[in-house]
Amino acid sequence: MLDNLNQDVSILQPSLQMTDSQVQNRIRQMKMEDPDDQTCYQRFCNLFTIEYYREYFDVTTDLVIAKVVNAFNPFSGTFFDIGGGIPELYGPFWILNTLIFTTALSVNIIKYMQLQPGEHFEYQFQIVPILTIFMYLKTLIVPMIYRVALKCVSQDRLTLLHCFTIYGYSAVVMIPISLLNSIPNPAIQWMLLVYVLFAQTSFLTSNFNQELKYLPKEKKYMIVGLVAVVQITIMILYKFYFFSSINYQQLGLVKKRTTTHLLSHILGAN
Amino acid sequence: MTDNHQVPFGSGMFQGQAKFVDYAHMNQQEVQVNTLDEPVMDTLLRDINMILYKLSYVIIPRMKETQGRKLRNCKRLDQIKIGDLWGPLLLSLLLAMTLGINSNQSSDTIFGTIFIIMWGGSAVITVNAKLLGGQVSFFQSVCVLGYCVFPINVAAVLITFLQSYLGFFLRLIIVGAAFLWSTFSSLSFMSSMMNEEKKVISVYPIFLFYMFLSWFCIFI
Repeated sequence: MLDNLNQDVSILQPSLQMTDSQVQNRIRQMKMEDPDDQTCYQRFCNLFTIEYYREYFDVTTDLVIAKVVNAFNPFSGTFFDIGGGIPELYGPFWILNTLIFTTALSVNIIKYMQLQPGEHFEYQFQIVPILTIFMYLKTLIVPMIYRVALKCVSQDRLTLLHCFTIYGYSAVVMIPISLLNSIPNPAIQWMLLVYVLFAQTSFLTSNFNQELKYLPKEKKYMIVGLVAVVQITIMILYKFYFFSSINYQQLGLVKKRTTTHLLSHILGAN
Repeated sequence: MTDNHQVPFGSGMFQGQAKFVDYAHMNQQEVQVNTLDEPVMDTLLRDINMILYKLSYVIIPRMKETQGRKLRNCKRLDQIKIGDLWGPLLLSLLLAMTLGINSNQSSDTIFGTIFIIMWGGSAVITVNAKLLGGQVSFFQSVCVLGYCVFPINVAAVLITFLQSYLGFFLRLIIVGAAFLWSTFSSLSFMSSMMNEEKKVISVYPIFLFYMFLSWFCIFI
């Protein structure tokens, strides 16, 4: 059994090491091939224990901070050298939630600033579930697209989890930008949008580039182009759905009508 | 206590003992005699005392980690160790109702959302702490996080009653103070169970959670 483990480890490139919990998981997986050792619960319900997912959360504070700082730098391409390039889900998950919070905040600040003098401010809350769905779908689907594209050019070193990790960390750039987006000047908003697009795309491509160095030019440009196109689509959706002033008025009008209609219905019925 | 031990109903000794007993280890018969036959007022008062006792831990935040660890491990503080969900339930209902009443439109949406965010958020933070390797029981952590929402509740109620007297900045100060108070209350508990190197990343979700809840209070 130990021989198999050594063989597995040697297949990996030197920059992608295994952590303790990954080794333990691998040992447990090998043990599970012997059915007498495991109970029924352990064989089928392993997915529902916390220990199964612990290897994806094997991080320390320093590691997370180092990765976040690296993500702000679009040209270094050294993301997978930090901490041995181990994929983890802590960073992407909490960066996502922070992003949802800051975007909701910024949308409400814009609405607050557009308030007429006599109006009472209504917290635009419907934006939060929509934002959550948008962000979670984006974070789930886009790395899968990247992984499929990498598989098409037969690049197998970066697994799906690596794609999740790097995509999650690349979203850090959007957090300060979403806060700054609350400035109502359209020129500033567009400049910030372009900056985010540029920063995220170059971060992703310079990191994929380290792995794609040995491919022919057409395939490399194909991957880079795919990343850029996906990012542009998402940014445009983001800007036009959440930060356009037309949308608020529409939402505001619709809600007001429903409330007065209901009230008059109730009063009329009495 | 043996199986045949009959405790006379309403005896002072019995009622005095009822407060700090670990029900999980009591005999089935004795439990039935204890709680089914006593007056309703006694049951309610006992539960309310329990909730107030735990709230005292929130109101005076225990900044030192040693006290946080004591909170977690102390055998004498049986009730905190077991953890109840009455307090968090009452606090979350109060918060959701306060915030819901004040919004003219979609008050039912806000009620539902606050409720879900509080319970779902507590669950997510606890699972996060467990995944990062902390040794904490699920319900104990949900209980602590729920109790620590109390300062935000106070801020929401204050802002509701003093609505016309408070400008935006005064509200910001009140809500900011409540948020910091909540975070410090839960800090000692949460950080006492993680390794040195994982403290910040396990406390950050709590920070985000309370900030999300406090943000609702500013814009009532």
